[in-house]
Amino acid sequence: MRLLIVEDEPDLLASMAQAMREEGYAVDTAADGEDGLFKAESVDYDAIILDVMLPEMDGWTVLKKLRATKKTPVLMLTARDQSRDRVKGLDTGADDYVVKPFDLAELFARLRALIRRSANRTTNVLEIGAVVIDTAARTVSLDARPVEITAREYALLEYLALHRGEVVTRATLYEHLFGDDDDTLSNLLDVHVSNLRKKLGHDFISTRRGHGYCIE
Amino acid sequence: MIFNSIRARLQIWYGLLLLVILAGFGITAYELERGHFLGRINSELDRRANLLADSLHHRGGPGRGPGGGMEGGPDGGPPLEGPPPGAFPDDGPPEERPGGPREFQLPPQAAGMFDASDPNNFYYIIYGHDGGEVRRSTNAPPQPLTLAASTPPGPPPDEPQRPDDRRQPAHRFFVQGDRAEYHLDMPLGGSFVVGCSLAPELLALRLVAVKLTLVGAIILVLGLGGGWWLASRAIRPIDDISAAAAKISAGDLAQRINLADTESELGRLATVLNSTFARLEAAFAQQQQFTSDAAHELRTPVSVMLTQTQLSLSRERSPAEYRQTLETCQRAAQRMRRLIESLLALARLDAGQEAMKRLPFDLATVIRDCADLVQPLAVEKQISVVLEVEPLACTGDSERIAQVITNLLTNAINYNRPQGEVRVTNTLQNGSAIITVRDTGQGISAEDLPRVFERFYRSDKSRTSGGQGLGLSICQAIITAHGGTMEVASEVGVGTTFTVRLPVG
Repeated sequence: MRLLIVEDEPDLLASMAQAMREEGYAVDTAADGEDGLFKAESVDYDAIILDVMLPEMDGWTVLKKLRATKKTPVLMLTARDQSRDRVKGLDTGADDYVVKPFDLAELFARLRALIRRSANRTTNVLEIGAVVIDTAARTVSLDARPVEITAREYALLEYLALHRGEVVTRATLYEHLFGDDDDTLSNLLDVHVSNLRKKLGHDFISTRRGHGYCIE
Repeated sequence: MIFNSIRARLQIWYGLLLLVILAGFGITAYELERGHFLGRINSELDRRANLLADSLHHRGGPGRGPGGGMEGGPDGGPPLEGPPPGAFPDDGPPEERPGGPREFQLPPQAAGMFDASDPNNFYYIIYGHDGGEVRRSTNAPPQPLTLAASTPPGPPPDEPQRPDDRRQPAHRFFVQGDRAEYHLDMPLGGSFVVGCSLAPELLALRLVAVKLTLVGAIILVLGLGGGWWLASRAIRPIDDISAAAAKISAGDLAQRINLADTESELGRLATVLNSTFARLEAAFAQQQQFTSDAAHELRTPVSVMLTQTQLSLSRERSPAEYRQTLETCQRAAQRMRRLIESLLALARLDAGQEAMKRLPFDLATVIRDCADLVQPLAVEKQISVVLEVEPLACTGDSERIAQVITNLLTNAINYNRPQGEVRVTNTLQNGSAIITVRDTGQGISAEDLPRVFERFYRSDKSRTSGGQGLGLSICQAIITAHGGTMEVASEVGVGTTFTVRLPVG
């Protein structure tokens, strides 16, 4: 899952980005509205966290311009909890909003819900054969036994599971699993896929040579 | 309760006044009518009495008793019982006429006057010289009215008129109950009493009284109704005003009094109240904006601290990570402290609690001190600070003035272009010290210029400059507390000039 966070307060941006990375998201950041809009238009993010008060271009304008081209789920960060602002945000096309100051746990939960809704699912639990993925707890079990899994492996598994039956290209996976700041080695993806096969069974992820990976 | 309403009280006074006027008018009309009736009766009786007297005179003539002719009643009643022994109202010595009744016929002219068919039922009694009754009409009451029993009549005098000429008769007019009598005393003894019933007149008077009362009542009702209507019309704007004021008091500050007539006294009151409400609303909105801005400014550092601490506590961290978290939190806390100090300073200045010292100081020295203070920042940003100051004695709070100048200098340096210049001058003009701080920065756009002194207003809309948008507001409040003014002029691309006017005295 790849996120974009647009926030102009450097300390807040840094801590939010770190928190999201530790949750297993690939995170890109932008410190002003123009940069944020540029990134949001050029990359298919799974979700965007957008502050309202931004230099250069405020959050409402970014959202309005983005909605002209993309349906990326957007979570607005607003410092004003007046209903006028919320109505304006939701009317402009925001999918949800969080009022500052917020709890990280709430932000995570809302983000998960946002991504889940955008994938047209209603529960946090994905069941694929004997494998059960709990996207809220970020845990994976095989035959009811918990499986130890790294954050990156989990992100890869979740993305493939959410797009079950589809062939996901390596480029797409790279885009959604790695942020701009990650050092992406070309064979890193193969390593993660190989580790997942060891833990969940060799046939769990199939390789379509020349196309990508797929969970049947 | 209802008597507390202005309308009801107005109505009560109005009704009382109307009642008094109507009653006065009615009583006067009634009295006039009564006087008119009595006057008419008086003249009627007068006419009859005189005619009676005249007819007897003519009949008897001087030296002869008129009683000789008083044989029968004027209405053909039974004759008098005996000849009046010298009972002659005349002055002549009565001729002795002993014996039975004589033929006495009232002249037809006089007889007609005592016609029983007349609703007034006129009657007469004739007394002789000795006061004995000589003759009376059949319808005459047993006793004539006496002076003691009589009520004072209307217009005619009730005192017997005794003219100097003793040959002239004296007359009195009596009214009692439903009777009126006219007493004619002959100068040489004897008298005539002519009376009548007042029943028809009293009936007519009662009718008049009833009519007057009815008309008065109708006028009173109409007047009260009209008064109520007028009072309601006059009061209605007050109801509008109080309704609007009630809504405003309930929290709807956008409410205004809507009166079509703005020229009347109440209209002018409404206009004044409306402008008061408008100012109240503006002050309220400003206060709300200020509170909301202050809360907004606090939300960001709190968000930083919350996010950073929750992140750090989510798992074990290295000492370096913990240190970084603490540093972040410290920055956020410092920022909140600055904000709180600024807000408190503004609140105190607003409330007028911040007492400004009034001590003499040299403005040039203060400006030089401030320039020294910001020198490291100027060096860092490669800005040259040029002072064109001359000694100028001022009175005021030098620390506060220094705070203002430092703030202006810091802004001028921060918003300058690289290798830019900040020029400070001071001059004396019309008893005011004029301090100008001019920079060579990017300038402030015309749309932002009027708002630079607004609280929390930042032309760049970002938090990256570190300012909170309160510095210039505080400066302005300090200068205002000194009785001075602060202005700004700017040209985009050329620079900005802040001018402070400070009274020297």
